[in-house]
Amino acid sequence: MTSNATPAPTPTPVDEKRASFEREALVHLDALYRVALRLTANPSDADDLVQETMLKAFRAWDQYEKGTNAKGWLITILRHAFINEYRRRTRHPENVDLDTIEPFAVFGEIQDDDPQGAFFDKIVDDEVLKAIDQLPETFRETLVLSDVEGMSYQEIAKILEIPVGTVKSRLFRARQALQGKLYEYAVSNGYIKGTPA
Amino acid sequence: MNCRECVDHLYEFLDREVTPDLERDIRQHLEECPPCGEQFDFETIYLKFLRARCRTQGAPAELKRRVMRELFGE
Repeated sequence: MTSNATPAPTPTPVDEKRASFEREALVHLDALYRVALRLTANPSDADDLVQETMLKAFRAWDQYEKGTNAKGWLITILRHAFINEYRRRTRHPENVDLDTIEPFAVFGEIQDDDPQGAFFDKIVDDEVLKAIDQLPETFRETLVLSDVEGMSYQEIAKILEIPVGTVKSRLFRARQALQGKLYEYAVSNGYIKGTPA
Repeated sequence: MNCRECVDHLYEFLDREVTPDLERDIRQHLEECPPCGEQFDFETIYLKFLRARCRTQGAPAELKRRVMRELFGE
């Protein structure tokens, strides 16, 4: 650098806030969008929900302890915004009897003909996402945080404000319920022979 | 450990959320019980499939621009 070059400006607190927000929060935009889309089941609402989450997060950024779990913190904000503002007009919390789902129906059906689950290969992304959208909300949010976002049981328990044991049982039933839907779908499309449950 | 107990912990095991003691008991049961082993293999394939299908989607470019505009006025 030559002596007559303009000295680099000293970073202001505003610059630093922006830099840390970009580094720790904005990198999770894709994850927030995926979660928002599964919660709202509507791309336009998902956009608005993510936008609102980012604004709220930026305003509250001083309260976030830097270097901890930004993704979990952001998803918590997003979920609260969804519950308070979107759920009322988009979806209604279902009254589903979560105990009626019969586990392991699928493995019992396919264990002789397709124990390696080759039929899964024929089911594409959109079909899986559509099946997830049909799950009851309590199942759907647990499954999305685990299988889509790869969060631990402990992280999910914190976000959903439920005990780890409840995360386990919900995830178990959510995965089984989804598997049942995908199996029925595969049968009705002729990907595998069998009778829809 | 019997089959029922083993299957009850199926996903916790596959998610690596079990204690070392429980993990050892499950592994031992799976070695001794081929039907449970097959079922665990099937569920492993299912979870891999699920992750592969659901993790590709990202936020639209327009949403990224919109967020930047709203936050930083650009």
